Amino acid sequence: MTKTEIPQELFVKAEVDKEAREHIARPNLTAFQDGWLRLKKNKAAVCSLFILIIVILLALFGPVFAKHTFFDTDYSQIYKSPSAAYPFGTDQFGRDQWARIWQGTRISLLIAFTAAFIDLFIGVTFGAVSALFGGKVDAVMQRIIEVLVGVPQLIIVILLMMVMPAGIWTIVLALSITGWVNMARLVRAQILKLKSQEFVLAARVLGTSNREIILKHLIPNTVGVIVINAMFDIPSAIFTEAFLSFIGIGLAEPNASLGVLINNGYHVLQNFPYLLIFPALVIILIMVCFSILGDGLRDALDPRMRQ
Amino acid sequence: MFRYICKRIVYLLITLLIILTTTFFLMKKLPGTPFDSERFSLLPPEQQTQMLEKYGLNDPVIVQYGKYILNVAKGDFGTSFFYSGQPVSGVILGRIGPSALIGLQAILIGLSIGLILGIIAAWRHNSGIDYFTMVIAVLGVSVPNFVAAALLQYFIGLKWGILPVAFWESWKCSILPSVALSFSVTAMIARFMRTEMLDVLEQDYIVTAKAKGLNQFKVLMRHAVRNSIIPVVTILGPIVVNLLTGSLAVENIYSIPGIGSLFVDSIKTNDYSTIMGITVFYSSFYIFVMLVVDVLYSVIDPRIRLASNGKGD
Amino acid sequence: MKKSKLLALVLAAATILSTSGCGFTGSTGSTAASKTAQTADAGTKSNDTITVYDTNEIRTMVQWAASDTNSFTIMNNVSEGFYRLNASHEPEPALAKDCKISDDKLTYTFTLRDGLKWSNGTALTAKDFAFSWLKQMSADATNNYGFIMTDYIVNGAEYQAGKAKAEDVGVKAVDDKTLEVKLKQPTPYFVRLTTLPMFFPLNEEFVKSKGDKYGLDAGSMIYCGPYVLTAYDPASGSTLKKNDSYWDAANVKVPNVKVRIIKEQSTALNAYKAGELSRVILSSSDVPAMKSNPEFSSTNEFRTTYLQYNLTDKTLSNKNIRMALGYAIDRKTLAEAILADGSAPATGLIPNYMYGNGKQTFREINGEIDSFNASKAKEYWEKGVKELGGTPTISLLTEDDSVTKTVATYLQSEFKKNLGIDVKIDSKTKKARNQLMDDNKFQMAITAWGADYDDAMTYMDLWTNGTPYRGSYKSGTYNGLIADAKKQTDDEKRLQDMLTAEKTLVADDAVVSPLYYRGSAYLTKSNVKNLVTHPFGAPIEFKYASLS
Repeated sequence: MTKTEIPQELFVKAEVDKEAREHIARPNLTAFQDGWLRLKKNKAAVCSLFILIIVILLALFGPVFAKHTFFDTDYSQIYKSPSAAYPFGTDQFGRDQWARIWQGTRISLLIAFTAAFIDLFIGVTFGAVSALFGGKVDAVMQRIIEVLVGVPQLIIVILLMMVMPAGIWTIVLALSITGWVNMARLVRAQILKLKSQEFVLAARVLGTSNREIILKHLIPNTVGVIVINAMFDIPSAIFTEAFLSFIGIGLAEPNASLGVLINNGYHVLQNFPYLLIFPALVIILIMVCFSILGDGLRDALDPRMRQ
Repeated sequence: MFRYICKRIVYLLITLLIILTTTFFLMKKLPGTPFDSERFSLLPPEQQTQMLEKYGLNDPVIVQYGKYILNVAKGDFGTSFFYSGQPVSGVILGRIGPSALIGLQAILIGLSIGLILGIIAAWRHNSGIDYFTMVIAVLGVSVPNFVAAALLQYFIGLKWGILPVAFWESWKCSILPSVALSFSVTAMIARFMRTEMLDVLEQDYIVTAKAKGLNQFKVLMRHAVRNSIIPVVTILGPIVVNLLTGSLAVENIYSIPGIGSLFVDSIKTNDYSTIMGITVFYSSFYIFVMLVVDVLYSVIDPRIRLASNGKGD
Repeated sequence: MKKSKLLALVLAAATILSTSGCGFTGSTGSTAASKTAQTADAGTKSNDTITVYDTNEIRTMVQWAASDTNSFTIMNNVSEGFYRLNASHEPEPALAKDCKISDDKLTYTFTLRDGLKWSNGTALTAKDFAFSWLKQMSADATNNYGFIMTDYIVNGAEYQAGKAKAEDVGVKAVDDKTLEVKLKQPTPYFVRLTTLPMFFPLNEEFVKSKGDKYGLDAGSMIYCGPYVLTAYDPASGSTLKKNDSYWDAANVKVPNVKVRIIKEQSTALNAYKAGELSRVILSSSDVPAMKSNPEFSSTNEFRTTYLQYNLTDKTLSNKNIRMALGYAIDRKTLAEAILADGSAPATGLIPNYMYGNGKQTFREINGEIDSFNASKAKEYWEKGVKELGGTPTISLLTEDDSVTKTVATYLQSEFKKNLGIDVKIDSKTKKARNQLMDDNKFQMAITAWGADYDDAMTYMDLWTNGTPYRGSYKSGTYNGLIADAKKQTDDEKRLQDMLTAEKTLVADDAVVSPLYYRGSAYLTKSNVKNLVTHPFGAPIEFKYASLS
C-alpha cells in the first residue's frame, strides 16, 4: 500500500449555516397531520371512512327522502314486508321502518359518540394519573373505581330517572357513570407496563414534567388499546341505551334508537325477521367500518409505526 | 408481596363497607315499598303503618342501617321480601350455581378461541385468518348476545334438535347459553390480543430472538404472548365478574334460574334484603378479582412493581 | 408454565361446580343429571304429564303471604276451599258438602264432606278453616288480602286492628264438620269468595310444628287438593303429583303436572314446538300465523286496562277534555289489530262475562258506555280548550313493560290523529309509576285492575276512597250508590245500584276511560283436553284436564 498524502490546501473550511444544520428533511407536521397522511395511504380505512360518512348522511337526511315520517302510524299497513313503498317494511303500528332506522341511527350515533368521548376523556385521564403517580394516589383512585362498580348501577339509574327528565342527556349521564371504568383500568395497566421502560426513565431524567410524560410519551404508546376499547364502547353504549329505554329512562316513544329497534325486532324474530335484520345490518356495517378505521387510526397514530 | 396482599385485604373490607353504605342509603330512596304497590296503597293508613313496622321499615334509615350492618357482621342477611320468608343467603346461593357454570364455560370458550385467533391473526398479519378474526371480533360485539342466544336456541335447539331448547335440567342445557355468552368474550380477547401482539412483534427483542435462530413457535409463546397479555388480563377481570354473576337476557331466554335475573327483579321489586345480599356478594367478588388481576400483572411482567418496595406505599 | 397451571385450576373449579353446586332442577339429589333429563323428556312426551309455565317466579307457598296469580295457581291445585270453580267458572261444593244461608243472608253454615284427610293422613276438620281464616285476618298475614275477609266477617276488622279477641270474630267451628260464619252485611258473592286461596284450610298443628320453615319447600307443607307438590323451587318451577287421598281422586285424570318458569315468550313457543310444553301463550305477532291452527284457542280474563285521569290536575279537571280523550280512542283497532292476542275492546269498566243477574252478564245489561267517536272527540276538545283558554300539554304515565308501552304508543298516535295533540309518554318502572300516582304527580296514567272475585263490586269499590291513585275522585252520588249496594238485601236493587254507579263513573263523570279487557291466545297440544283457564283468581285448573 502506498501512502498518499493529501495536501493541506485541499481542505476547505465548511460554511455551516445554522439554519441548514437544524433542517429536518421530513416536512414538519403535527401528529394529527402526520396521522392523516398515513391514514390516507390505507385503502381499507379510507373506504370505511367513506361508508361511515354515507351512513351519517343517511342518518341525517334519510328520513327526508322517505314518504313517511318515523312516527306516522297506519293501521292498515301493519307488519308489511319490505316493498317499494316501504323499503325496510313496517312495524306493529304500520310505521315506516326506513324512516325509523335512519332516525334511530342518528340518535344511536349521537349517544354512542358522546358516551365514547366521555369515556375516552375521563377514562384515559383517570387511568394515566392513577398509574403514573402510583402509591397512595393509585390506591385511592382504584378504590374509587371499586366503589363505583360495586354500587348497583340499576339503582342509580332508577333514581336518576326519578329526578331527571327523559332524554338523550339523561342517557349519556347514566352511561357515563361507570362506562369509563374499563378504559381507566386498561390505560392504567398499560402505563404501569410502560412506566418502568427506559424511554420514560430517560424523559424523567431530562426533567420532563409529569403532564408532558403522560401526553407525549405514555398516551401515544397506549393508543392501540385506547382505540380498540373505544371501539367496544360504541356498541356497548348502543345496547345499554336500549336497555335503559326499556326500563323507562331515556327515549320515549315514538322516538327510537337502533338498540330499541333491535330489541323490538328480536321479539318478533320468528314471524317478521326483517324487523331485526335491517337495524342489525346497519349496526354491523357501522361497527365493521369503525373497526377497520380504528385499526387504520392505530397504525397512523402509533409513534413506533413511524418509518 | 405477602404484605401487599394483606394490605389490599384490609382495603377490601373498607371499600366493601363504603359500597354497602352507599347502596343501602341509595336503595332506601327507591320509589315505593317492598310490598305489592297496588294492594298496599289500598290499605287504610293504620294497616300500612302496621305492615311497615312489622319489618322495621318505619325506623329512621340510619337505625335500619345500623341494624342491618350488625346483622351482616353476624352473618345474617335477613329474609327476602319477594320470596316471602326465604332466607336471602339461601336464595342467592341457589341462584349462583347456574350463572357461575355458564359464565365459567363461556370464559373458557372465549379465552381459548379468542387467544388462539388473536395470536394467529397477529402472526399472519393481513392474511385470511387475520380478516376472519376481525370479522368474528366485529360480529361478536355488534350482535347482541340475546340475538345470538335466540338464534342458537331456534336452530340448534328446535330445528336440528341437537341440544335442549332451554331449562336447567342437565349439563347439556348449559352448552347453548355458554356459547351464546362466549361470543363477545371471544371477540374482545381476540381483538386485544391481536393488537398487542402486533405491537410486540415489532419490538427489538423479538427481532433479536428471531435473529438468534430461535424456533418461531418458541419466540411466539415465550416472548410475544407473555408480553402482550397485560390488556387481556385487564379486561378479563371485569368479564369474569360480569359473566359469573349472570346475564339477565341469556338467563331469561334459556329459562335458567340464575342470579342475573334475581338481581334485576330484586331491584325492581324493592326487595331490600336481597339487593343488599347480592351487592355484598357481587362487590366482594369484584374487588377480589381486581386484586387477583393486580397481582397477576407483576407475575406476568416482573417489571411492574405494585407495592413499590422501599418507597413506603 | 403458569398459564397452564391457571387453566388447570379453572378446569378443576368447573368440574367441581358442574358436579355439585349447580342444582339442576330435574335432579332430586346427586343423581346423574343427564339421566333425569331423559326421564323428564319422556315425561312430557308420554301420556301422563301436563307441562305448563308461568312468566314469573312462584313467590311463595305460604297462604297468608301469597298475593300473586302464580302462587295462587299452584295453591289452588294442591289445596281446596269449601267451594271450587267448575269448568264453566261457577262455584261448586268442594270440601264442603253444602252451605246453608240464613234468611237474613247474614249467617252461612258450611258442612264438610265425610272422611276428608290431609295428605299426611290427619283428619281435615272445620277447625282447620277457622285457624286459617283467623290467620288471614290477623296481623300475621302479609299478603295485604285481609280485606277480603274483614270487609264481610263480623268483627274481622276489629280483630285485625287488635281490638277484638279471636272468640268474637264471626267464624266458629261448631263441631269437626261445621263452620258457622257471620257476616256484617248480605254478600251475594260470599260463596264465590270461598274458592279463593285465602279461604283454604290450614292445619294448625302442622303449621306450628314447622314454624318459620312452613311452606319453604315441598316437604314442609301438607295438602288437601287434587294434587300434592313433589318439588318446589320459586325460580325454576314445581312438579305436582296426583293426591290419592283427595276426596274426588277418582275424577282426577292426569297423574303428573309440571309448572315451569319461562320469562321469554319466544322461549315458550320454541319449547312448545319441541314438545316440552302442553300449552303456550302466543304474542300478538304470532297470532296471525297461528290462527288457523287447530291447536289455537283464546280466553278472556276479568282484567280491565283503563286510562285513569287525575281530577286535581289543571287540565284534566276539565270534563270536556276528559270526554274528548275518551272519545278519541278507537278501542277496536287497539284490541284487534295492535294487541291481537285475544284481548277484547272495552265497552265499560266491568269486563265481559262478569256475573250480572244469572241470566245476563253485567256487561250485557249495562251495554256500551264507553266508545270511539272522532267527531264528538273533536267537538268536546274544542269546548274544553275554550274553557281552559289555551291548548294544554298532556303527558301520559305508563309502566315500562312492553304491552303497556305498546298501548301507550297507540294512544299517543290516536290523540295525534283525532285531536291533533302531541301527548308525551312518560314510562317508569312499576314501583315508580305507582309512587308518582300515590303522590298525585301525574296527569293521566294507564292502569289495570284484575278482579279478585266474580262480582262487579271488586271494581266499583276502588273509587270510593278518593285517593290520588284513583284520580282523587270524590263523588257523593257514586259513594251513595256503592254504600247502598253493600247494604241491599234485594239482589235486583243491588244490581241496579251498581249499573248506575258504573255509568256515573265512566260516562257521566269520565273519571276513567276503559281501554281493553285482557285476553290470551293459546296453542294447546291436541292430546290435552279440558285444561280449564279461569278468568280470575287462580287461572289454570288441572283437576278437570285429561290426556288422550
